[in-house]
Amino acid sequence: MDNKAQLHTLEGLAAAVLMTLTVLAITQSTMIVTPQNSLAVNVQLEQMSSDALGVLDMAPISLVQYNLTECVAGWNKTEATYPTIKHEKLDDALWHLLPGLLYNVDFAYIENGNLTVEKVIINGAPGDNSVVSRRYVTLTNQTVHMMDGGWSLQDDELKVVEVRMTAWKV
Amino acid sequence: MESMKKDTKAQWIALSGLVISLIIIGLAALANQAVIAGYHSSNAVLEFPKDNIRELNSHTRDSAMIIKDLSFEINSTSNETIPFIFEQLFDNYSTQMQALYAVHGETVDVSLVSINSTNGTFGINDIDLIFVNITYNDGRTHYISEPEIIEVR
Repeated sequence: MDNKAQLHTLEGLAAAVLMTLTVLAITQSTMIVTPQNSLAVNVQLEQMSSDALGVLDMAPISLVQYNLTECVAGWNKTEATYPTIKHEKLDDALWHLLPGLLYNVDFAYIENGNLTVEKVIINGAPGDNSVVSRRYVTLTNQTVHMMDGGWSLQDDELKVVEVRMTAWKV
Repeated sequence: MESMKKDTKAQWIALSGLVISLIIIGLAALANQAVIAGYHSSNAVLEFPKDNIRELNSHTRDSAMIIKDLSFEINSTSNETIPFIFEQLFDNYSTQMQALYAVHGETVDVSLVSINSTNGTFGINDIDLIFVNITYNDGRTHYISEPEIIEVR
């Protein structure tokens, strides 16, 4: 009987076990890869949604049909219901700036000393990795009157409105 | 069995298995470090309230212009002075901003320090600068701009 081949087999088995254990250890130690990828996507998503609101707020009137202040001022104060009623002017503007993303938009403001939050665009339930961006606009009765909006402001009153957008990838 | 012990040729197989394993462990350690670095840098970007602070500043600048215009509008139908109306409107703006930021667990303070006029009178073309103190704090990041000089001409 040739015992040499048996020794080769045993040592080959030992090498295989060694390498299997190594691969197992690596697989266990790199579980952190998943949250890293999701965080990187969140960073990109937050930047895109923040930029979209910023562009809409700062863009000259010649470049956009309605800027963010005008969109907010022109809101008829009817809360959105899915999928029929939404703030069309704001939705049209954001739709072009955020291709491939879904978003919900709320307006938050102080009324009679209390915080009021109203939904103005609903495109569905936000996903697990959704991000929230916000931008502020200041309304006066003049801007509301110009845009024929539903806000009820006095001539000497300022209203700061937070535009809160929840965006997510599908 | 004795002959098996004497034959050491196949030791190379086990040895190369060990070497390959060590190389894989080294590469895994490097990959893991890169992954952890990516995790921390992404986390830092998400945690730091850059956009919130920037928005507080830029919106205060925009609102200062709106407040100036509204002050003159109110002044045309009332007996109150421009600085008085400006201060009232700015306080109102500051109160609303404090409440809206507080909802997100952030403390802000935007307070008017002074209104600068080129010749001491408060005509619509005379007010050129306003000085505002801005502070922001979310428990981790504390930002102060005292004073923030805003051009309103």
